[in-house]
Amino acid sequence: MLQVENLQKSFADFKAVDGADLRVGQGDLVAVIGPNGAGKTTLFNLITGHLQPDKGRILFKGEDISHLPAHQVCRKGIARSFQIANIFPRLTVFRNVQVSVLSQKKLSRTMFRPAHRMVVEETRQILERVGLNDQQLALAGSLSHGDKRILEIAIALGNEPELLILDEPTAGMSPDETAATMALVQRLAREQGLTILFCEHDMDVVFNVATSIMVMQQGRTILQATPEEVRQNITVQEAYLGGA
Amino acid sequence: METSHTLAALTSQLLVGLSRAMILFIVSSGLSFILGVLRVPNVAHGSLYMIGAFAAHTIATAFDGSVAAFWLAMFCAPLIVAVISLVAERLLFCHLYEREHLMLLLFTFALMLILGDLTKMTWGADYRSIVAPPFLQGSIPVLGTAFPRYNLFLLLVGPLVAVGLWLLSSKTKFGKIARAAAVDREMVGAIGINVSWVFAFAFVLGCLLAGLGGALVSPTISITLGMDHSIIIEAFLIVTIGGLGNIWGAMVGSLIFGITQSVGVMVLPQFAIVFPYLAVVIILTLKPTGLLKSVW
Amino acid sequence: MIKNILRTPSFLWTAAVLLVLLLVPFFAGRFYVYILAVVFVTGLLAMSLNLLVGHGGAYQFHHCVFYGVGAYTAGLILAKTSLPAWVGLCAGPLAAALTGLVIGAFCVRLNKLYFGMLQISLGSLIWIVALRWYDLTNGDDGIHGIPMPELLSGSVNAYYFLLIVVSACLALMYLILKSPFGATLRAVRDNPQRCEAVGIDVRRHQLLAIVIGTFFAGVAGVLFVVLEGSVFPDMLFWVLSLEIFIMCLLGGWFTFFGPMLGAAIMVALRTFVGSYTDYWTLILGVVLILLIFFLPEGIMGVNFRSWQRRRERRRSADAVR
Repeated sequence: MLQVENLQKSFADFKAVDGADLRVGQGDLVAVIGPNGAGKTTLFNLITGHLQPDKGRILFKGEDISHLPAHQVCRKGIARSFQIANIFPRLTVFRNVQVSVLSQKKLSRTMFRPAHRMVVEETRQILERVGLNDQQLALAGSLSHGDKRILEIAIALGNEPELLILDEPTAGMSPDETAATMALVQRLAREQGLTILFCEHDMDVVFNVATSIMVMQQGRTILQATPEEVRQNITVQEAYLGGA
Repeated sequence: METSHTLAALTSQLLVGLSRAMILFIVSSGLSFILGVLRVPNVAHGSLYMIGAFAAHTIATAFDGSVAAFWLAMFCAPLIVAVISLVAERLLFCHLYEREHLMLLLFTFALMLILGDLTKMTWGADYRSIVAPPFLQGSIPVLGTAFPRYNLFLLLVGPLVAVGLWLLSSKTKFGKIARAAAVDREMVGAIGINVSWVFAFAFVLGCLLAGLGGALVSPTISITLGMDHSIIIEAFLIVTIGGLGNIWGAMVGSLIFGITQSVGVMVLPQFAIVFPYLAVVIILTLKPTGLLKSVW
Repeated sequence: MIKNILRTPSFLWTAAVLLVLLLVPFFAGRFYVYILAVVFVTGLLAMSLNLLVGHGGAYQFHHCVFYGVGAYTAGLILAKTSLPAWVGLCAGPLAAALTGLVIGAFCVRLNKLYFGMLQISLGSLIWIVALRWYDLTNGDDGIHGIPMPELLSGSVNAYYFLLIVVSACLALMYLILKSPFGATLRAVRDNPQRCEAVGIDVRRHQLLAIVIGTFFAGVAGVLFVVLEGSVFPDMLFWVLSLEIFIMCLLGGWFTFFGPMLGAAIMVALRTFVGSYTDYWTLILGVVLILLIFFLPEGIMGVNFRSWQRRRERRRSADAVR
């Protein structure tokens, strides 16, 4: 479904991504791991169109999306959540998701119908699916950290994506919240046939959930394989996992 | 005979334009500096320029217009302006640094309104003028044309100020800290530097330059109450085309302004003032962020 | 939706105020009728700015350019051509919106401060042209004695015309702000990056908002011409742009009627304080500083947050039913 070939991106003299390759098949749960500064978030920004690559290609369902701007990449069926909770703090939880659904249904520019009556069912369904239904009237800025991350995912779901990209979905969460969030992610993947690409630092999460793991270091892909193969790979062990 | 006559006129106009550009540079470099460090366009900048001119007038005419009084005025007027800006900054402005930039902008607008009326209260609405000391009066022949000595004086002061600013910002500790604070104010605060004082110095220095510009320009124009409104637009435009916060950009912008206006005077005198504005539009169409890199 | 609106307290208040305004000419002198008309025009201008700044988050620093363009277009057509009056009156807002589109297209490429500075630059070009092109615009003197159709002449007729037009514009603005377009605009204000990530073309959305806001500014400009019969280059001068900012700040950025209230207060202060002293600007400056320090959310903004919560709760309850 998604194919990244030899992607490169530099900022002034710093080569953030220097030859990244990635393959994501339909229905996969692919994790990208690597030490801090390995270029994972930059890679995600390149895939979703927030940054433009210097070299290399990004193919989605056979189509070259390397140089599309972010809002067009989203329309192709890719949605993402951000590493730092990137919600609309002054809007209610309901409105946060509603904006996304409106955009998906191409209703963002409708001017003469009241917004609060539109796409209510769809928005509520998403909120129910992620478990935020009882907080839909709260201002998003007042949510707990964990709930904000879930709201992130809910906003991304509003785009009815085929590929959902999650940037460190469990960062800063307690073990309970982490387990709940990952269970949610797996359930969503199953129920809606979503393909998921995520990056994480929590190795338990990665090895329990992912069907395929891509290892990055210094902007380069070292290896992409099944969890077992990655665990047994010496280079990865030394570089990242700190020995067997 | 004809060609040399036109050549002389051309040179004359260009030199006038250049000297005008020096005043514009001194004023807009101050604006640019404040913009660079505080990230706020100082709307009150024109008012401080105007106060500089009025103050220079008062001092210069206080001692029967003697030569010493003139130089005293050139020296003291900017200082008076600096004191005024320091008072405004320490009393009020510094409490707003944590707020949104829009609030800072509106504060400088309030300052402009207040200073404008205070100027009216102090000096009244009459036109004033001062006369340059004798050795700066008259003209000397330059390239076949009579070039006013005062303008020549301006052509010397301008680059001096530029070099002074450059030395300050790249060679002194303050300059380096100011540039760092422009880019990342939290980081500078985190390494123990009192960012508030950095901002205070930057603001006062910028305003001092405005006052200096006002003092220097006073022998060449009539000092009136509308001076603040007219100079601030030009300074804004210059800073925008030069690159926000960039001092050399302010120089480039001022030169473009001064020269295009001279060209305008020669080509279409009635619309001379429109020429710089057209240049601004062309430049901003091609390079919306300004010719030189912005400081942030 | 209409039925629900008719039931809310806000509508009843609005209807009451409207009724009072309709009756004012019957019991107030010409001076007060005139002042109210000035409030209508200034209020509409401030509301149009708030659409862009309060709801859209744009650094619209030179909004009054579009006001001036609307006024000059109408004024020139009415004074210098023999086209029917309605052509001039309709051309004003259209010209303003077109100017808004052109300048906006330049500005949306940039962010925040650059946007503002660029707009000041481009707007100033229009100002200087209006100021210097003496043959066309009478330069500094402005154009006076612009002929108005019978229906609109006289302060009472002008008053009612302005009241009707401004009410219609406000109703339109209300609908737009409550629509998905408005909701998305506020989302763009709060987090443009997130909007891009959910498929919203942020630049096009902002540009559309700019066209709408400048259109209404143009309407305000035309209404000024109807009221005063003159146009001046000062209408295009950036000081006015910042004054409108103060009105929005005074009344409350994120509320609907805030800017109108701010405009009313400013006009009242300027008229009444201005008659006592030459130094009205000084007082305005001091008021602004007080606002910045003590009341940055404006007069209406104080209660806004709790009011907003109550509204959303009531509305979502409606939607769920």
